[in-house]
Amino acid sequence: MRLLLDLRKISEPAERERLAREADEHGIWGVVVTGPRGGECVEASALATTTQHVTIVIDIDGNDVHPTTLAEEISVLDQITKRRTMVIFRGPSTSKTSLATLLSGLPCEGVILSPPPAQASIPVHSPEDIPETNLPEDMAQLATTIDQYRDSQTAFLIVSWARSIKELARHAVGRSASNDFPQMVADMADQIDPIDQ
Amino acid sequence: MDMGIGLWCLQSTSTNPRSFGQAYQELVEDARLAEDNGVHSLWLSEHHAYYDGYCPALMPAAAAALAATENIQIGTGVLLLPLHEPQRIANAANLLNEQSSGRFHLGVGMGYRPIEFEIKQRDMSQRLKLMNAGLDALHSATQTPTWVGISSEKAAERAGRRGLGLFISGAFSKEVVNTLIRAHRTAWEKSDPDEDTPPPVGLLRNLWIVDSQKERRRALDWVRSSYLVYAGLGWGADNTGVDFVSQIETSMDEVEKSATVGSAEEIAAELDGYDVDLVVCRIGYDQPPRSALTEVIERIGRELAPLVQDSGVKL
Repeated sequence: MRLLLDLRKISEPAERERLAREADEHGIWGVVVTGPRGGECVEASALATTTQHVTIVIDIDGNDVHPTTLAEEISVLDQITKRRTMVIFRGPSTSKTSLATLLSGLPCEGVILSPPPAQASIPVHSPEDIPETNLPEDMAQLATTIDQYRDSQTAFLIVSWARSIKELARHAVGRSASNDFPQMVADMADQIDPIDQ
Repeated sequence: MDMGIGLWCLQSTSTNPRSFGQAYQELVEDARLAEDNGVHSLWLSEHHAYYDGYCPALMPAAAAALAATENIQIGTGVLLLPLHEPQRIANAANLLNEQSSGRFHLGVGMGYRPIEFEIKQRDMSQRLKLMNAGLDALHSATQTPTWVGISSEKAAERAGRRGLGLFISGAFSKEVVNTLIRAHRTAWEKSDPDEDTPPPVGLLRNLWIVDSQKERRRALDWVRSSYLVYAGLGWGADNTGVDFVSQIETSMDEVEKSATVGSAEEIAAELDGYDVDLVVCRIGYDQPPRSALTEVIERIGRELAPLVQDSGVKL
C-alpha cells in the first residue's frame, strides 16, 4: 500500500509547498493536490519544480471541459514532473474513459496526444477507488489503522496528518508496505533521533 | 520599452529532435537565465495535435517557469481562447498571479488551424463569436493583464474597444505595425475609456544580436527556416499579400525583410521607431545551437534592454 499525503485542505500555498518538499525528502510516495477548476495542473506544476521524487496526484474536475483539453494539460504536467503524475478524476464516466485512453498514449476518436505523457501510461482513478482517512496521532492507533487498510488489499491510501512528516514516514511508510514492519526499529529511531513536533 | 523573449513552444521538431522532458527542463532554465540577465518577460505559444508536440497547455508550463523564478514576467503569446473554457482559463490565470505575485500575463488569440477546432468539437466558422464570448467571460472573472494577439486592423480595433493590450505578430513591416497600432489606439480613444493611459502594445519581432556579416547571415537563415514550421502549421500573415503555405520561399523573403538582426546598437535604433511598450524578441527558433540561444538571451538582457529602456512606455 502506498501513502498519499492530502494537501487539498491546506489553504496556504507556502504551507502546501513546505509539506510537499518534506514529503519528497522523507520518501512519502505521493501528495494529493487540487485547485480551482482549471487550476489543478497549475498547482501541481508549481509543486513539481520544488520536488524531485514524490508522485503528484491531481484531484481534477472533469465536468464541462473537453477530455482532450484535460489530457493535454495532464500530459504537459507529466513532462514537467518527469513521470510523477497520477490522476483522481471527478466527472462523467465517458470522459474518464477518453482521458485514460489518451493518457495511455493511445488514440481516442482520432486524436493522439502530442506531446505524449512522459510515463508509459498515467494512472487515472475515480475518487471511490482510493480511500481517505485522518490518521490518528496515537502511535498504536496509527499502526492499527494502517494495518487494516494494508491487509484489505488497499493499493493507495490518502492520509491527512497534522504532525511531523518525518514521523509519518518513520512509522507509517514501512508499515504500509509490509506486514512484517519491525515497530521496534521505528521506536528505537525515536529514541536515537527524537522528532520535534 | 521593455524587452521580452519568445516564443517558447516546447517542440521536438524534425530539424531539432529532442526529448520533451528536456524541452520543459530548458524552459525553466531559460526563464532563470533570462531573469538573471534582466529580461522583462518570457512568452509561451500554443498549438494542438501537431507532430512536434507544440505545447498544447500553456498554464502548467507557465506555472513551472513562474515557480522557478522570482522577478521575470511570464506570458502566453498566445493562448487560443476559442479552444478553451474561459472560466477555467480565468481560474488558472488568477491562481498563477496569486502564486507569482502578479507576474503572469494572459495573451489570447483566435487560432487558425481547422484540426484544432475539430478535435475540440468547436465550429471554426464561429471562432470570432467564441473569442468575443471568451473575452467577455475573462473580463468579469480575472484582473490578469490581458493581451490580444492580432494580425489585422479589425482585430486591433476590437482589442482597442475593449481596452485590452495588443500582441502584434512578428512578420510585419514597420508600416503595417504602425497602422495596426493606430487602429488600436483610435478605437480605444473612441470607446470613452475610464483610464488615462492607453492599453499596452507588445510587438513580436524576429530579432538576433550579431557581431559580423557572417553571423547576420546565419541568424537570418534561422529566421527563414523557422517559418517552415509555420508553413507546416498552415499559418499565414494578413497584410503581407503572401500565401505563407504555398509560397514558402516568397514568404521567407518577406519575413527576412522584417527581421531585426544586427548589433545591439543597430537594433535599438530600429526599435526606437516603434511606439510600443514591449518588444518580444522572437528567438525561440529550432535551428540555433543551445549555446547561441543562451548567449542571445544574455545579450538581450545585458546589452539591448538598457539601450531601449527609455523608449516607449514602461509597463
